[in-house]
Amino acid sequence: MLKERLIDALGSDAVKTAPEDLAVYAFDAYTDGRLPTAVVLPASTRDVSAVVKVARACGEPIIARGAGTGLCGGAVPIIGGVVISFARMNRILSLDAHNYRAHVQPGLINLDLSNHVASDGLFYAPDPASQKISTIGGNIATNAGGPHCLSYGTTVNHVLALEVVDDRGEVFTTSCDDPGYDLTAALVGSEGTLGIVTSAWVRLMRLPEAVRVWVAAFGDIDAASAAVSAIIAGGIVPTALEMMDAVITQAVEAAFHAGYPTDAAAVLLIENAGFEDDMATCESAIAAIVKEHGALSWRAAHTAEERAALWAGRKGAAGATGRIAPNYYTQDLCVPRSKLPQALRAVEEAASAHRITVGNVFHAGDGNLHPLLMYDKRRRDQVGAVVETGNAILRSAIDLGGTISGEHGVGWEKREAMTRVYSTADLATMARVRDVFDPQRALNPEKIFPSGARCAEVTPP
Amino acid sequence: MRTVAERTAPESVEALSEVLARCDRERRKILIVGGNTLNGMGFPPEQLDVTLLTSGLAAIVAYERSDLTIAAQAGATIQMVGALLAANGQFVPFDAPRPQYATLGGTLAAGWLGPRRHLYGRPRDYVLGSTIVLADGTIARAGGMVVKNVAGYDMSRLYVGSFGTLGVLAQVNLKTLARHPCARVFLAPLPERTRTRACHQLEALAIRPAAAFWIEGFHNAVDGEAGPEGRVVVMLEGSEALLERATRDLRSALGRAGVPETRIVDAGARESFERVIDSYIASLGERSVTYRLYGMPDESERRVLALQELAQRFLLRAESIVDVMNGDIVLRVSDLDAHALGAKIEAFDDALHEGEPQAQVVAGEHPHRVYLRVWGAPPSSIERMRALKARFDPNGTLNPGRFVGGI
Repeated sequence: MLKERLIDALGSDAVKTAPEDLAVYAFDAYTDGRLPTAVVLPASTRDVSAVVKVARACGEPIIARGAGTGLCGGAVPIIGGVVISFARMNRILSLDAHNYRAHVQPGLINLDLSNHVASDGLFYAPDPASQKISTIGGNIATNAGGPHCLSYGTTVNHVLALEVVDDRGEVFTTSCDDPGYDLTAALVGSEGTLGIVTSAWVRLMRLPEAVRVWVAAFGDIDAASAAVSAIIAGGIVPTALEMMDAVITQAVEAAFHAGYPTDAAAVLLIENAGFEDDMATCESAIAAIVKEHGALSWRAAHTAEERAALWAGRKGAAGATGRIAPNYYTQDLCVPRSKLPQALRAVEEAASAHRITVGNVFHAGDGNLHPLLMYDKRRRDQVGAVVETGNAILRSAIDLGGTISGEHGVGWEKREAMTRVYSTADLATMARVRDVFDPQRALNPEKIFPSGARCAEVTPP
Repeated sequence: MRTVAERTAPESVEALSEVLARCDRERRKILIVGGNTLNGMGFPPEQLDVTLLTSGLAAIVAYERSDLTIAAQAGATIQMVGALLAANGQFVPFDAPRPQYATLGGTLAAGWLGPRRHLYGRPRDYVLGSTIVLADGTIARAGGMVVKNVAGYDMSRLYVGSFGTLGVLAQVNLKTLARHPCARVFLAPLPERTRTRACHQLEALAIRPAAAFWIEGFHNAVDGEAGPEGRVVVMLEGSEALLERATRDLRSALGRAGVPETRIVDAGARESFERVIDSYIASLGERSVTYRLYGMPDESERRVLALQELAQRFLLRAESIVDVMNGDIVLRVSDLDAHALGAKIEAFDDALHEGEPQAQVVAGEHPHRVYLRVWGAPPSSIERMRALKARFDPNGTLNPGRFVGGI
């Protein structure tokens, strides 16, 4: 019944129901959920609207899906339903270079946008590590960040207007220049629970005229994190301020030969983009701080190739850990930036208490940690230890005044942990917004909000 | 506005919660008042039983200087917060008019957008967390004091621009920026023949000005030589080294456009800039109405000329500010007295909205203001907005009727 009606609406090549076709849509980069009932590949907003109407008429929930690179189960079906893949809605609809904006479809790959507008001297600022494969739509759903959001802001700062299909299949638009409630801001980061974005007007920025990248190496993690806190406290906010510990740099160097020192306990990758006139001052200010904090070395990347290699190593870091253990679990937490040293100590303590190897590669300037917990999925004891380590790390983040997700989202993974940062009243207030946009809980159900059973631990990866 | 029965200024979040819960139960309607600077926005309240002043909630809650974050109560003035930040080499780029009175809560609730947002982003993007009190007295917190946070819906951003109709902001947590060491303002006459080129040149500058305005009128409010011609006001911000180059570039850009002598203001540059912002809402009492329009930078010249022509047709005096970098337009129309304005303003408002359906009223005290389309045409998502209002404030207790579509 569902299948026939979907095929009627979209044509048979846009509807998948065979179990072998559905299997891949049960996963994201975090975990596997249940098989969806069907997967559809719409080519237009009208298709999406038709799919929602059919799915709702058949009592099926709807899960919008980008590239499936999410790290918290946000795109996996938990109770079946129709998965909408945006693989065929991946175009730039229009580019207005003069006014710094582009109108794009949700399936457009993040990096493709920047590559396309580079000849106009522009770029799209949000740059999650997944940007070679993740989509603008998925980035909007999670309000994705990335190394450069330290100075440019996260996805929400770069979305101007949205076209959305609602829970009944009706189309509406929002614009941050409209009078009235800022529905654009509410929709960004709502993880597909308030509507399905079918196109977005995004803000583009001018490519900077000067870019510098530096690498500072430290003999211990404490010194490196104290240096980061001091840089921020000094009012210096470079374009990106990333940290990697030795576990990560060694894996990265083995995989990519990116140019990081392997004998340091921690390295900082620092980028400043802007104007030539400011570069010398910025460099000497940062260099002075890192030296004060006992840096072993300080080096500038001299060529565009060197810079690109350092960044490729940074963005490929998680993948490179395959050399250390068969599996890794990425945590995502954010703490006030002055608390970075304590937060990293807490990560180290939690990991060593559970005998888990941890690698840290993260957006230090934002206080946004990403401990990668290494394990072997086939070993039950290790899976349990990873879960407990992750929970201990989240607890320490909350104790330090931080939060349970800086940029990956809540999804399925962390929904129970929401009760640790928010009161019942806080969550009920959020639910009022859901009540308006999705009263039946048909859009990406079982996400963000706790299940009601007050199990406060995060589920296994 | 009729006499109000009760004025209250709760001094704690709990007291605020009690006031709201009580009024909501008793179906008494509340008007929320911050610094009264943007009270020229919105419809007058449909009904008014209690005036709620946020002046009792004006404390700095936590200033984490080394984290570049600050938490303050909603009734704190922009000037007070700004002075504390400035003393520590930081700022928030809210660009609120009359900052000595404007409150954090009022500025954010009104969704104020300033001219430096093309460079630094919107005020909403500086709000890391909030405490709001809903009409039923529920105290709800959102976000926190971290600069990145995607744990659940971004409620704080939704409250920004909600005009007090979803709840009363009690506290906001903000991200701050390091203050630029230098600011420099350029003032020059802008004869008609130079205007188009000058605006294009300003937009194309490699080092983007923090703000650039083309101003017609507002002679007593804004610095510059009085005279029949328009003026250009540009502010640069940055390091000394950067400003040196930016100054050269700007002078030669304006020179190429044929702009005559440019005067530079270094001491008092920021004050000079603030006087332009103050003019956005400067009203001539009952004899003026000020509109604000948003749009694309490359369309603002054509639009403002059309607006001036329209005002002329109605024999209204028109003064305008074009925010060259963002494309915003401020238009103040006035007449000799309230009576003369009253005879024309409704017809003018109709004609204006035919061409510019989104034009909003931001200032003016004329009694006929109540008949104007102060929010412009309702957006296409108005029914969803009504539903949101109904879910947050089912009894219509907060600022009833003041917002878009009579929300």
